[in-house]
Amino acid sequence: MLALGPTATTLLCIGITVPAYVLVRALYLRYKHPLLNVVALGAALIITILVLCGLTYKDYTPAKNIMTALLGPATVGLAVPLYRYRLLLARNGAAILGSVALGSFLAMLLAAVLTRLGGLPDEVVMSILPKSVSIPFAVEIAKIYNGVPPLAAAFVVATGTSGSLLGGWLLNLARVGDPTARGLAFGTVSHGQGTATALMEGEQQGAMAGLAMILSGILTAGFAPVVVWLLGFVPVL
Amino acid sequence: MTQTIKALGQLALLWLIYWACDWLVTTTGLPVPATVLGVVALFLLLLTGVVKLHHVQDAADLLLKHLVFFFIPVAVGLMEWGGVFYEHGLVLLAAILISTIVPIVAVGLVSQRMQRRRG
Repeated sequence: MLALGPTATTLLCIGITVPAYVLVRALYLRYKHPLLNVVALGAALIITILVLCGLTYKDYTPAKNIMTALLGPATVGLAVPLYRYRLLLARNGAAILGSVALGSFLAMLLAAVLTRLGGLPDEVVMSILPKSVSIPFAVEIAKIYNGVPPLAAAFVVATGTSGSLLGGWLLNLARVGDPTARGLAFGTVSHGQGTATALMEGEQQGAMAGLAMILSGILTAGFAPVVVWLLGFVPVL
Repeated sequence: MTQTIKALGQLALLWLIYWACDWLVTTTGLPVPATVLGVVALFLLLLTGVVKLHHVQDAADLLLKHLVFFFIPVAVGLMEWGGVFYEHGLVLLAAILISTIVPIVAVGLVSQRMQRRRG
């Protein structure tokens, strides 16, 4: 147990988080394996250190608030890659929007209905709802429906990891060979992690995945009220 | 030095857009995240040429390069939620896997078919 004042504790928490990020990022850039997820590994490392130091999440919260202050404007910056993809979007607009919309809707509905039927508490169901979109969108969407941000982040990472690991194999099995279609599937369902995996398959797959990831974030926010309304018809077991 | 000032100005512009969207969401009670609205707003501003790419791209690219950094502190919040995974792990795993596998295959098949019809 450390006896530190609040300011010292906050500085210590930042001093743990930044090096943890640098270390885990370097590890990921070296091996680029889907299992080496920067968010999951980084958080696991930090939680371990906090527990060893006898610090709680309450001690960590002020540091978290300082470090995430730029998340809002950073997310708005996603409009820049979206704008760079505008020609791609204009050329294949209907196919892209149609399939991304279908995928976003299915992912949300399946996750929410299955967890509701499985008897999970409401705040968990609302946290799993946006699990196929990038964390900044997922966290904000979950919050609107009383979900829990860290849980939402965890489900996003789980989805990204499973999609990145299984995606290539699943698409081969379904005989989806078209690079555009493969990229869209990766990006719609497995956000940034899927995009990184798609990029390893090829440039076209990567660009499509990046585009799909941003569109799926926007569409998921739009569809969420519909899915939450539909969820009202699912019995609580 | 001028590079830094330029990037800070760009950051201020991104912040202004986010802040305006946040204000709009708070006052209207729209069930849409301010960040999503912000992306759409900036995209439209870029399309209409009101904002040019060089007004925002340095700051945006730098922030996006390290976007995952911001999620690590958020995920640390999981330290209070271990019980959920212990208690409901199987249901959660099944829900994640099914809701990942089905849409991946659906998106792949549908978009491949839509493109073939065009071409």
